[in-house]
Amino acid sequence: MLTTLATLAGLALAQQTDTTVPVRAGARLEVNNFGGEIAIKTWSKSAVRVTASHSSRDRITVDASEQVVRVKSEGRRGPSQVVDYEITVPAAMALALSGVYTDITVDGSQGEITAETVQGTVKVSGGVGNVSLKSVQGDVTLEKARGRIDLSSVNETIKASQISGDVSAETVNGDISLVQVESSNAEATTVNGDVLYDGTIKDGGRYRFSTHDGDLRVSVPEKSNVSVSVSTFDGDFNACFPVQLTGKTKHRFSFTIGSGNARLELESFNGDIRLCRPGQLAKDKDRDQHKNHDQDHDQDQEEE
Amino acid sequence: MSDTWTNRLSEYLDGELPESERATLEAHLRACADCRATLEQLRRVVARAQALDDTPPTTDLWPAIARHVGVVSLDARRARRRLSFTVPQLAAAAVALTLLSAGSAWLLLRRPAGARPSQSTTTPSPILTNVGTYEANPRYAAAVASLERVLAQGRSRLDTATVRVIEKNLGIIDRAIRDAQSALAADPANSYLNLHLAQEMRRKLELLRQAAALAGART
Amino acid sequence: MELTTPGVATLRRDLDQATRDAETADVALAASGDGRAFERLYRSHVARIHSLAQRMTGEDHADDLTQDVFVRAWSKLSTFRGEAAFGTWLHRLAVNVILARRTTLGTERGRYDDSENVLDGVASRPHTAELSLDFEAAIERLPDGARQVFVLHDIEGYRHEEIADLLGIVPGTSKSQLHHARMALRRHLE
Repeated sequence: MLTTLATLAGLALAQQTDTTVPVRAGARLEVNNFGGEIAIKTWSKSAVRVTASHSSRDRITVDASEQVVRVKSEGRRGPSQVVDYEITVPAAMALALSGVYTDITVDGSQGEITAETVQGTVKVSGGVGNVSLKSVQGDVTLEKARGRIDLSSVNETIKASQISGDVSAETVNGDISLVQVESSNAEATTVNGDVLYDGTIKDGGRYRFSTHDGDLRVSVPEKSNVSVSVSTFDGDFNACFPVQLTGKTKHRFSFTIGSGNARLELESFNGDIRLCRPGQLAKDKDRDQHKNHDQDHDQDQEEE
Repeated sequence: MSDTWTNRLSEYLDGELPESERATLEAHLRACADCRATLEQLRRVVARAQALDDTPPTTDLWPAIARHVGVVSLDARRARRRLSFTVPQLAAAAVALTLLSAGSAWLLLRRPAGARPSQSTTTPSPILTNVGTYEANPRYAAAVASLERVLAQGRSRLDTATVRVIEKNLGIIDRAIRDAQSALAADPANSYLNLHLAQEMRRKLELLRQAAALAGART
Repeated sequence: MELTTPGVATLRRDLDQATRDAETADVALAASGDGRAFERLYRSHVARIHSLAQRMTGEDHADDLTQDVFVRAWSKLSTFRGEAAFGTWLHRLAVNVILARRTTLGTERGRYDDSENVLDGVASRPHTAELSLDFEAAIERLPDGARQVFVLHDIEGYRHEEIADLLGIVPGTSKSQLHHARMALRRHLE
């Protein structure tokens, strides 16, 4: 979404900064970038390399102490505007990345990650431990992470794959897709969007997926032991394997698979709820790609 | 070193000595090297006191506090956010609102009207959302109103595209809230609908909070 | 597209104001019953409150008192009117909670002693071991009266009149307690 930004900024990005500082194990990286890009890569050296493209009016400071490497930019007069960072760090380094008009990408991290932006995307591959990714007006994408995973957007889609650990995903106007998930504690909630969960249902685990206007599709592997409760106001429920409904009321019913010691809660006010085996949901997913972006979202773009 | 004067050094240091005594003491100080040394030490004690760092407790006290006030801690809530006590509370509010008309006794049990006067002298422009009937719950209404005020004050600092997106999403949540309300009107005892309404009300507060924080200036 | 709006510069704002606004929002949320918002408030203020409690009453009671302060704050949030900053309000509340406990603690420990003799004792023991005593520890070793006055005046910035009010003493006593505390502490500066 920031291609325009990059083009506009192109003329001003006259200066290059390239600095490398040594770091100790356990130090973390903090980057705040008002607008532009933060791209993190990893290497095996015990050092942080910061390259930045920025206006000649701006100065990049890399402030390294034993615990933290702080990267920021300052304009000669007032705040700097657009900086594109490419930063190479030791894989295990913890990352705290933030910005406003900022796209954030991380590749190959084996450390904790916090990334927050307002108008920009967050795209992360890797992450171990607390992984918290937030945007207001941008997609949030995560793959190959493990730990306590917290994903949030407001107006866009959340996608995660090949992740393990505790997972929580929340948006208002967007779909949530969690696939190839290894978790005993997963939650995803949106208001206007679909939720897809394709992952494990572990004994003793808790899973909760909810939407207001949208469909839920959730995988239940064979031989799962899970109590399922389904709530909907104006939607249908179906499963691609046989289930025995119990405790059925008008809008709410439940059933048990196996010994039932995991809990799965499914709620959609207006949409359909579908249970299938892992992998079988992927087909549906492709189909939905086309209807993902709702119309008023597209109107937004035109209004610009 | 005269004790009489030493005893007044702290007052002197704090500027609390009357003018006449101050002059006399200053004259004495010029003659008394010990007194000057003591004064300097006292000055350093005060400087040291002001420079002390605050340190958090070694054990996290929040879980115990959360238990006391009936809140589930963030960790536990990750496992099951619906246990968050705000949900039953809001659910109760939702049920009550369905069953009772506004202004009834139940509502008066909560925060009295006017308990939270407007904090600002500027007149906030009407913003973002319509006030639905569910906001007749005074605690909830007060929270929403207060957040909207923060947002109104900070709105000019927000990018217009961000404002539009937030308005749109608040609208989406409001629609979900209205859906849940009208469904509840027909089926007041439905626990799913109550929880759903409560969840969306909580979500609206959360989004308002996030927006207020943005408008306030977090980058 | 977004960047063409004139908002870029205006989006940069004073960080203090930001923190205050976010906190105002959290206070409103917490008052409406939102535990997460209250937890955020706890996290940002706990160090200050805990340090206050520890300096006023000693290590043994600090955790307990801190807990009390936040439990009390939760139930009293609806009385917070935003005239002062939340931190100031909470601090006042904490001082009240701590001082209310003071009498009990004083009796319990049997060392609530205003006499200046005790202070002189502390002051006139500049042995080598004492010299290395940490400044914080030295504060804790002051007699209760002198310690409370010192903490409230020199660390927390209260005036003698306020302290006298809070502790139920006359301002003159507050002044002399402060002076004696300072005299005792100057031996523990390094």
